[in-house]
Amino acid sequence: MLSLIQVLGVILLAPLVAGIIKTVKAMLQNRRGPKVFQVYFDLIKLLAKDSVVSPTVSWIFKLAPYIYFASTAAAAALVPVVASQSSGLGDVFTLIYLLALGRFFLVLASLDAGSAFGGMGGAREMFIAILVEPALLLSMMTIAFKAQSTNLGLMASSVESSSLSLAYVFAAIAFFIILLAETGRIPVDNPDTHLELTMIHEGMILEYSGRSLALILWASAAKQLIMMLLFIVLFLPGNIFGTVMLSDIALKVLLVAVAIGIAETSTNKLRLFKVPSFLAVSCILSLLALVAQ
Amino acid sequence: MIAGKLYYLILLLFSTGIVSVFFTRSNAKLTNYTAHSIALVGSTLAILCASFVFVQGQVDVALPMALPFGPIGGRIDYLSAYFLLMIGVVGVATTIYAFAYSQEYYHCRLPLMAGLYNTFLLSMVLVVTVSHVVAFIMAWEVMSVVSFLLVNHEYEKKSNTRAAYIYVVMTHLGTIFIITAFLLLVGGTGSMDFSQLKGNLVSENVRNIIFICALLGFGTKAGMVPVHIWLPRAHPAAPSHISALMSGVMIKTAIYGMCRFFLEFLGPGPVWWGILILVLAIITAVIGALYAFIEHDIKRVLAYSSVENIGIILLGIGAGMVFMSKQEPFLAGMAFAAALYHVFNHAIFKSLAFMGAGAVLQAAHTKDIEQLGGLIKKMPYTAVFCLVSSLAIAALPPLNGFISEWLTFQGLLFLPQALAGITGKAFSALLMALLGLTGALAAACFVTVFGITFLAKPRSKQAKEAVEASPVMLVAMGMLATLCMALGLWPGAMLAIVSQTLMNFPGIDSNGLASHNWSVVAAPTNQSDGGISTVVIILLLLSGCVVAIVLHSLFGKEKVVAGETWTCGIIPNYHMEYTATGFSKSIRLVFKSIVHSHYETVVNSNDNQYHGRKLFYHVRIRYLFVSVFYNPINKGIIRSARFMKSIQTGSVQMYVGYIMVVTVVILIWSTGW
Repeated sequence: MLSLIQVLGVILLAPLVAGIIKTVKAMLQNRRGPKVFQVYFDLIKLLAKDSVVSPTVSWIFKLAPYIYFASTAAAAALVPVVASQSSGLGDVFTLIYLLALGRFFLVLASLDAGSAFGGMGGAREMFIAILVEPALLLSMMTIAFKAQSTNLGLMASSVESSSLSLAYVFAAIAFFIILLAETGRIPVDNPDTHLELTMIHEGMILEYSGRSLALILWASAAKQLIMMLLFIVLFLPGNIFGTVMLSDIALKVLLVAVAIGIAETSTNKLRLFKVPSFLAVSCILSLLALVAQ
Repeated sequence: MIAGKLYYLILLLFSTGIVSVFFTRSNAKLTNYTAHSIALVGSTLAILCASFVFVQGQVDVALPMALPFGPIGGRIDYLSAYFLLMIGVVGVATTIYAFAYSQEYYHCRLPLMAGLYNTFLLSMVLVVTVSHVVAFIMAWEVMSVVSFLLVNHEYEKKSNTRAAYIYVVMTHLGTIFIITAFLLLVGGTGSMDFSQLKGNLVSENVRNIIFICALLGFGTKAGMVPVHIWLPRAHPAAPSHISALMSGVMIKTAIYGMCRFFLEFLGPGPVWWGILILVLAIITAVIGALYAFIEHDIKRVLAYSSVENIGIILLGIGAGMVFMSKQEPFLAGMAFAAALYHVFNHAIFKSLAFMGAGAVLQAAHTKDIEQLGGLIKKMPYTAVFCLVSSLAIAALPPLNGFISEWLTFQGLLFLPQALAGITGKAFSALLMALLGLTGALAAACFVTVFGITFLAKPRSKQAKEAVEASPVMLVAMGMLATLCMALGLWPGAMLAIVSQTLMNFPGIDSNGLASHNWSVVAAPTNQSDGGISTVVIILLLLSGCVVAIVLHSLFGKEKVVAGETWTCGIIPNYHMEYTATGFSKSIRLVFKSIVHSHYETVVNSNDNQYHGRKLFYHVRIRYLFVSVFYNPINKGIIRSARFMKSIQTGSVQMYVGYIMVVTVVILIWSTGW
């Protein structure tokens, strides 16, 4: 039951977090950005709109937004915030592979309309996913080996019980890099652009409109929050901001959102073929963390 | 014992199937129905026989063969039964598929093909059940030769003949190693019966040599890197239902051989055995997945993906052997269970994928996915089944591939318990990261295969005119697709079978795996919270879907307007679609040290030089292992042959002279002077 509440909570709050990141970026760039709640307004606007669908597409195109949304929602239940971690819930591989399931369908849908933009976006999304996967697993292993389990709840509690060390700092930086890559942030992807040559995620969903687009955007925001929560429970343990757990988590999310905003503002987008080296840094930091433990 | 009687019946049926084609060969239709019906009954009985063994215990059967090696017997223990079950399940599906698929071959030596098909099934059943060294090697050889003939069935195509030739050379190199391994064992123990072959009777060095020989010999058949080169050539060349059997089942007989050797004959060995297997396994997995991704011949993609999956299976076996040698029976049980579970999963989803590829090939007459596209509208059911197999191969939940991959991951996670220290930790972390890379590559690969083949607009006339496969073929594919989902939803059943299979081997304890709830898979550690539950995953996905549907219909019914795909104002055509070559380009560039791809852009200079030029873009892949490993060997052989040629003049007088010189030398030498 708690898991379902957590799923709803993540889904409902995800657009707010996306809005906060936008606001932070606007503040850092000395401009007046959109309202914090603007992402909600956009989603509601899209949810009320009708769709334009290419005659080339098949049922895959129509199914993909649901699967993407459902797999992200399912992944949201696995993060150890308030949800129960027993009875088969909360395995890290399940979480990673559920996100992969959503990506699989979204990339298929990007090929379905037969446009070069979709294919380009899909190919790049898969390219990044291939590179992120080993880095992500390595950074998870730094904790899983210690916890002797891939259950996220056990991993989180093993982190809480251990003292701060250099290894965790390395691992945290490694995961932060993956967080940027996996959620399509600068320097890997630019979430604000619609320029054909640079876009990845936006290119993939170019053919979507109306409610399907709203579902995809909402799920992407939820995925971003899931990755941030993972970062928080695994790499920012302890009560930094007081003892009430939810407010502590909320403030930590705010902190990570600000960090993402700063990271995005202070760097520029990498060329696509520089991304492997960027992620290699993450891999090496994880390995260092493993060795230093 | 019913199982024993059934076993005789299976052998009899397949033999009848072989003989029947001689009497029905004048009528292709009759041949098709008779031979394949017999094979169907035989395969069904194989499932039954294996089930009886699992229920009633192992059986020994005597084979009434008069050979000068003592009595030859068969023994169906749980390990044999497991593989027999797999042969039966895949055999039933491929045989049903063959009824319809063989119609393509009515004018292409169908009686030969149907007879060989029965022989192939018979030889595989024998390989996994006989318990005598000579009988095993004979069955193994029959299996190799028959599959060679089947690969070469369409010998009019030169590439097929070449593939078959490479296959037969490689497989016999492998057989040499297998025979060596057996002979060393037999020499040490003095018996040819499997139950007497015990590795602890031979010295430590001999044991190591036996291990290496068995690994290389069976590894060649399994498609382990670097002795995999025959696999991506041979599997695509065979008719599709044969490819399904070869990729799904035949290469697993090699895994059977490895299990026999490593679990029963040799027993727990030194730690480096397991580590060697792990290293080879991860190279196999990554190389297989990488080459599968950059390939665009649909059947070659599947063949390379088989290489990858053999790597995943070997990861389980390698981890299991490390645990065995470090006396960790529970973890060893889990690792071997992961391997065996994946054996079965791969048998099912790879046969399904090959059947799908066959249906596409039959409908569009091309294996090149760059020529396909849009088939989801022409072949809706085939598309669904191919999607299921793609999801399963990519190890995505809630399908069966995920379960075995998860178990393999768990096996690797606990490796530091056996390999202490930082090296062990870093080794196992690297293995897991690379396995993750493999998984991601496989997902990308099957996104490409499915997306380019079935989605968007057709890229050629043949693809435009494709029609749905015949209902018989769809039934066969549907059966396997259902099994993929069932094994993904109900892992408890499979784990029970697997743990029974591993029950009697020393150094392994897998009972902990099957003791959970039917939907739960968990590592056998003392922590109760670990593990996954397929029901939970399904329920979560369903509730996510419900939320999505609610959101979608929050503001009433949506009105859908048709509008062309956005192509910057130009009328869209199939030339604008992404191709498989384009899709994998970034990966080719990143892994260029392994892939060695060469690009060629050919400009058609007949056209106007400045406007509307025709460009052709070719990619050639140089295969790393071929160029660094096989080409030098090839060159060496040719050079030595050329040297031999100079003393081989063709004149009889010269030869008489050679004989005389040799005789004189021997005479002098024999006097000891």
